[in-house]
Amino acid sequence: MMTRTLDRRTGRRPGLGIRVATCLLTLALLADATPSSAATEPRHGSWNPVASEKLIKLPGSYLKKAIENDFSNSGLAAALRDTEISMGLKSQTLADLQSAIDQADGELKVDLQHQFLAEKRDYLELVGQHQDLRREQMATKMRLYEKLLGKLSRDNAAMTPARQALVEKQDDAKRRFENSISKVDMKLFSTPMISESKYAVEYSKNVVAVERLVQAIKAHPMNAQSEINGRAVTKQEFLRQAVADTQAELAIVDQEETILGYMAKLIALDALALTEAVADGDGELADEKQTSNLASAVDYFIPQ
Amino acid sequence: MNRRTALLLAAFASNILASGAALAGTVENLERERAIAIEALLSPNMDPAERQSSTEIARTRLVDLERMVLRDDGLRGRNTPAVRSAFENYDLSFLVHASIEKNRSLIDHWLEQVGVTTNSLMSARIGRR
Repeated sequence: MMTRTLDRRTGRRPGLGIRVATCLLTLALLADATPSSAATEPRHGSWNPVASEKLIKLPGSYLKKAIENDFSNSGLAAALRDTEISMGLKSQTLADLQSAIDQADGELKVDLQHQFLAEKRDYLELVGQHQDLRREQMATKMRLYEKLLGKLSRDNAAMTPARQALVEKQDDAKRRFENSISKVDMKLFSTPMISESKYAVEYSKNVVAVERLVQAIKAHPMNAQSEINGRAVTKQEFLRQAVADTQAELAIVDQEETILGYMAKLIALDALALTEAVADGDGELADEKQTSNLASAVDYFIPQ
Repeated sequence: MNRRTALLLAAFASNILASGAALAGTVENLERERAIAIEALLSPNMDPAERQSSTEIARTRLVDLERMVLRDDGLRGRNTPAVRSAFENYDLSFLVHASIEKNRSLIDHWLEQVGVTTNSLMSARIGRR
């Protein structure tokens, strides 16, 4: 970008007509460029995450990481990164141009100011593209969270009253069994006549191993329960919070779009001011020329 | 993959499917053994020693089967007639555990659950219906 700027700087200065036309063209382009658009087609791949059962079963913290990881491998993320790099470069060009304007004088300054406006317009276009991509990312993420939430709700809704009653009875039965098991064991196996069955022996052996594994799973950091502000929450609550967070990010993007609109408006006004300044400068020269012509013609009207 | 290998794999897969289809669940096994145990308890063709021996064997087997059902996580919320029926009445379904819990013999506990008690028998009258 800087090379282009320097080339322009050293190049021949365009005439008044061309400069005014360029400024007006800039103005016209800016008028068309609404902030949303920057109505430019986002040059990107896409991100199509799937709300799979596997994803639903992941613990909250890992669910977010998995989604972020999936996004970072997508075409949309690549496009977002490319746009960010272009924005960085464009920003550098703007800084260079601004410092060059401060040092320049006369016609060169006007030329640089014109170029500065053109670069600012390009920068806004890039920001517009970046916002479109971010909006697409947020919208896709929100759809994904909503799908996950929907699936989770359907799973819970499958608990009909009859099924709920059955589960309660099963829980009661299990409690009663756990309370009576030692008594049953004592009564059954206290006599040497009856020994424990193979199932009972193997089960008691395995149950120790199972308990140890369950404890290890409970203590595993990746199995930590979802938390919001340090408070443990259900998967549904966690997903609802994620939807709200994504909605907030979308709202911020919308707000940034307004800022972008104001910036575009400011560039249009700058372009208008520059056009006026250039036109005024040339007008003064023309007036001076006309005045001198008239003054020189006075002689023709005064009798010798 | 040649044809022979393909045939072997197909046969193996069909064996797995067939064995899977024939497998009874823990509830079904418990129901079957419980029915056999009750039949032995009520059978008029057995002498007391024979009944005692048969009951002891059935009881040991039933203890394991009842525990398998109660510990089977796969049954949780499975709303099928067999599972619903098994958990409808703990005292009837888990006969051995419930009888020991209540310090009763197997037959006494079962008869009580189906509504036949000493009192009801003593107060019964012979009559024509």
